[in-house]
Order: sequence, then structure tokens, then C-alpha cells
Amino acid sequence: MDVAIVSILSGISSGVVLFLVAAGLSFVLGLMGIVNIAHGAMVMTGAYAGINVAKASGSLILGGLAGALLSGLVALLLERGFLRNLYKLHLEQILVTFGFVYIIANIHLWVYGAWPLSAYVPPSLSGSVTIGQFSFSVFRIVIIVIGIVFCPILWWVQDRTKIGAIIRAGMDDPEMAAVIGINLRPINIAVFFTAACIAGFAGVIGAFPLGGVNLGLGQEMIFMAIAVVVVGGVGSIQGAFTGALLIGVCTSLAGTYLSKAAIFVPYFLMIAILIFRPQGLFGKS
Amino acid sequence: MKFNKGQLLVFTPAAVLVIILVVAPAWVDISILSLLTKILIFGLLAMSLDVVFGYIGLWSFCHAALFGVAAYANGILISRFDITNFFLVAPLSILAAAVAAAFLAWIALRMSGIYFLLITLALGQMIFSVAFVWRKITGGSQGLINIPYPDIGIDFSSAGFYYFTLIITLLCGIALHRFLKSPFGYSLQGIRENETRMIALGFNTWRHKFIAFVVSGAFAGMAGILYTHYNGIIMPRGVDMAASGLIVIMVLIGGAGTLWGGLIGAGVIYMLSYYVSLVTPERWPLILGACFVAAVIFARGGIYPQLCRLWNRVITPKSGPANPEEG
Repeated sequence: MDVAIVSILSGISSGVVLFLVAAGLSFVLGLMGIVNIAHGAMVMTGAYAGINVAKASGSLILGGLAGALLSGLVALLLERGFLRNLYKLHLEQILVTFGFVYIIANIHLWVYGAWPLSAYVPPSLSGSVTIGQFSFSVFRIVIIVIGIVFCPILWWVQDRTKIGAIIRAGMDDPEMAAVIGINLRPINIAVFFTAACIAGFAGVIGAFPLGGVNLGLGQEMIFMAIAVVVVGGVGSIQGAFTGALLIGVCTSLAGTYLSKAAIFVPYFLMIAILIFRPQGLFGKS
Repeated sequence: MKFNKGQLLVFTPAAVLVIILVVAPAWVDISILSLLTKILIFGLLAMSLDVVFGYIGLWSFCHAALFGVAAYANGILISRFDITNFFLVAPLSILAAAVAAAFLAWIALRMSGIYFLLITLALGQMIFSVAFVWRKITGGSQGLINIPYPDIGIDFSSAGFYYFTLIITLLCGIALHRFLKSPFGYSLQGIRENETRMIALGFNTWRHKFIAFVVSGAFAGMAGILYTHYNGIIMPRGVDMAASGLIVIMVLIGGAGTLWGGLIGAGVIYMLSYYVSLVTPERWPLILGACFVAAVIFARGGIYPQLCRLWNRVITPKSGPANPEEG
């Protein structure tokens, strides 16, 4: 029983990281129709920069902010420099972001070298608690708490604020939103920027449950995020949250009880959802 | 078959290109020959992708994985089961790729547009994961090594294998061309232009897309078989999302919906890769990424239609209006 509890808790902590990454992908897709393949690379950008800053300064908060900011800036460059010229050309947008996966990974190789980077865990959070005969690291609990804080905030922004209403209107019917006088362009940029910031932050804290980061992180994260979006449905916080936790917990449980097959869990969930509910759990048909 | 003068002129560049490819081994050194072989193999893969990508408008991002299924099937049959006869192994491997394509299509055809792309991308990565995890059979991250040249009863030199690849690529290209010029092939373009109308006309568009995807997967598999023999090694890295993206960019550089453009796209990418790697191998991914961006921004529509336009301008004044060799 304790095994199951530890496994579920660690699944939730991975799920929180996944949620932070996938929520951005999902909103950018829902609002702008862009599949940002470089979204995983944003996670990597934030992780490398943030962890290095955190290790140098000894402050996880500073590291998290630095990672978030750098990811946001890279995203801004991507959107302002390239994607805005390809408005509504979905395939072209995807390919540009795909090219940036190579570019960003190679620049990281250039700057940081090929060695993997271990996660930064502040000394005060490096302990662990015992659950029955198993230990569970404090940092994972911190990640779960971050999720508990973040998710309701994002949910509130989506459902209860004017900005959220504008975003939802933009997703439902951009033409109609424009007709009633909403200028979606700044909203788009803000969402794109914020999505990357959150992804960068997720990279800094997510490095721990991921067991360190390497140059393949960008690819790895984009798959997980795509799986989350397919399972949860596009363009909603609740969808991203449910999808991420479902995938996180199922993968963790499968890892505990079935070992190697665990990496297929996201795909199985995705295929099952596609067959029985193609629009995703919370998607609109 | 009899050609009139206009048709002959239209086919001249293709004939010249084939002749150049046939005599090339006498003139170039072994590394260039190897490069040409690689271009032909990936050109075939890009052409197979173009069937679904350019002609139906299904943005498949999993063709490196389908290529990989046949490549692995080929490698496994040869190195694990000692079945070496090409005429036995190749059909089995192609069958494996076609079955995988059927499975992926069955799932992914529930979606269209960017969602189709997302699903195929993820499903392709699932195949990569199988190759990565199933160590006993696929060799895990080390892959399968020491796969010899195909066993068709003669000894291969590298020039011999080049000709083998050239013949297969041309035959497959002609087969795909015939497939796309059949009524069925035209119906695919109809689906791309207006699927609703095709449904109204009574076409079972799902079945058409499904069949085209499976055919495309089978030809991708043929390229995969050639690749294992060419490289001698097949590793998971060769079948991942990055590889699939590379094929897509080849199709776009060559020109989507032109079939033969795939060969040109493969040529551009691998020529560039070869010469850039001579100068600065570690920066190649950076330049490749920049190629993606540049191809999207500057080369929309691709090279092949431009070449056709150019050639038509050259021949038109002399021979009257020639049919543009469209795809």
C-alpha cells in the first residue's frame, strides 16, 4: 500500500510539471492555432539557464525567475521575429518552430556543452519524509504544492477575469471577437510569452523529478505535452490539469509495477482517448 | 510508346539527370558516391511521404518511423534470424511497414490538419520508443549493426549497391507516379482540394486516405530496407521525430505535391549536410534549423515547380506551348 502511495505522489509531482508545460502548449494551440514544437525547447532553455543561475546564487526562486524570463524572451523573439509573418499558415508555423528545436538545442550544446545538468535542490528542501518504510523527497512535495497554488490561479484567470474571457472568446471565434472590438494581437503575444515563461519555470523545478536535464529534454517534453493536450483536450486549464495528472500518475504506477512498459503509458492513454473521445476529455467537439 | 517532340523536350531534363546518375560512379570518389546513394534512399522516402503530404494534404510527421519499421524488420530478420535472401526479407519488411502504416492511419485519420500532424508525431515517437526499449530484439540505443549488402546472389561493391539503389528508387518513383496519375490518384487530389465535395460525389474519402497512407508507408519501408543495407547500422535515433521532420522539410524544399521534388529536396539537404560537415560538423544542426526557417519563409512552393517553370520558358518559344510538367 505504501508503495502505491509513494508511487502516486511521485506521479502527481511529475504531473504538476507536465501540467505547467502542457497548459501553455494547449492555450497557444487553442488561441493562435500554433503547435509550438519548440515549446519543449523552451522548457530546456529555462532549465539550463535557471539551474545555472540557481546554483550560482544559491536561490531557487532567483533561478526560477531567470529561467522563466529567458524562455519568455526566446519565445517573444520567435513570435515577433518569425511566427507573426506566418499568420494562419499552420504548417509553416509548425516547421519554423521545428527548426528552432534544432537551433536552440545546438546553441545549448555550444554554450553549456554536451554534459547533462543535475537539478538544483536548495539545501533546506533536500531532505525526505518517510511514508511507511519508504522515503519521499521534500522537493517533490514542494512541487506538488506549487501545482496546488498555480492551478487554481490559472483556472481563476481563465474563468473569472476579463483577460480570461477575452482569451476564451478568441478561441471560440476570433472573427466575432474582432468584430466586437477586441484586439487579439496583444493578447496572443501575451499568451505566447506567458506560456513560455511557465514552461521555463517548469524546467527549473521539473529537473528534479526528471532526474536532471540534457539536450534531449526539448524533444522529450514536447511529446509528453502533446500527449497531455490530446488526452485533456485543447485550450482549457482543467483539460491540461486532468491530462497531466492522469499521465503522470499512470506512468508512475506503471513504472512501479510494470517497469519498462511505463514509457508507453502516455501513448496508450492517447490512443484510447482518440478512439473513444477524439476531442479529449475536456475538449469541445 | 511514341512521344511527340513536345513530350520529348519535357522529358529531356529527367533523361539527362538519369544519365548523369548512371555515369556518376565513373567520375566521383567513394564518399560522393555514398552521398548520392543516401540522397536516392532519402529521396525515395521523401517521395513516399509526398503521396500523403502533398497530394492529400495529410501532414504526416511519422514517415521516419514507418521507414524505421521496415529498416528494423529487415535488420532483425537478417541479423537475428539469419534470413538473408533479399527477395524474401524485403517483402516481409515492406509488409511490416504497411501494417504499421495501417495501424497509424486507423488511429490518426480520426483527425485532420495540425491535429493529424500532432497524432502522427506522437505515434511515430511511440515506434521510436519500441526500438529504444525492446533491447533484446532491436538492440536498444546501440541498434542493430553489421547488416551486409542485400543478398540477391551477386557480390556488391559500393558502386554496385549505388546502381541497385538507383534502379529501385527509379522503379518506385515510376510506380508512385503511375499510382498518382491513376483515377485513384486524382481522387486524392480531389480530397485535398475539397473533401466535402468528394464525399458528396459519393467517394469514401476515409478509405482513399487510408489506402494512400498504407501505400505511402510501404514505399517508405522500401527506403528503410535500402537504408539498413546502405548504412549497415540502424539505430533508434534514425527513426525519431527529428528524422521525420527532416523528411517533411525535404518534401517542402523540393515542392509538396510534385512527387519528384522529394529527390531534389533530399539532394539539397544532404549536399548541404555533406559540405557543411566538412567545415563545421558540430554546427550542422544549427544550420539545419536555419534551413527549416529559410525554406518556410523563402522557398514556399519548393524548387521543383520553379525548375519546371524555368524549363518551360526555355523550350516554349521553339516548340509551341508545352504542357507544364505538373504534379
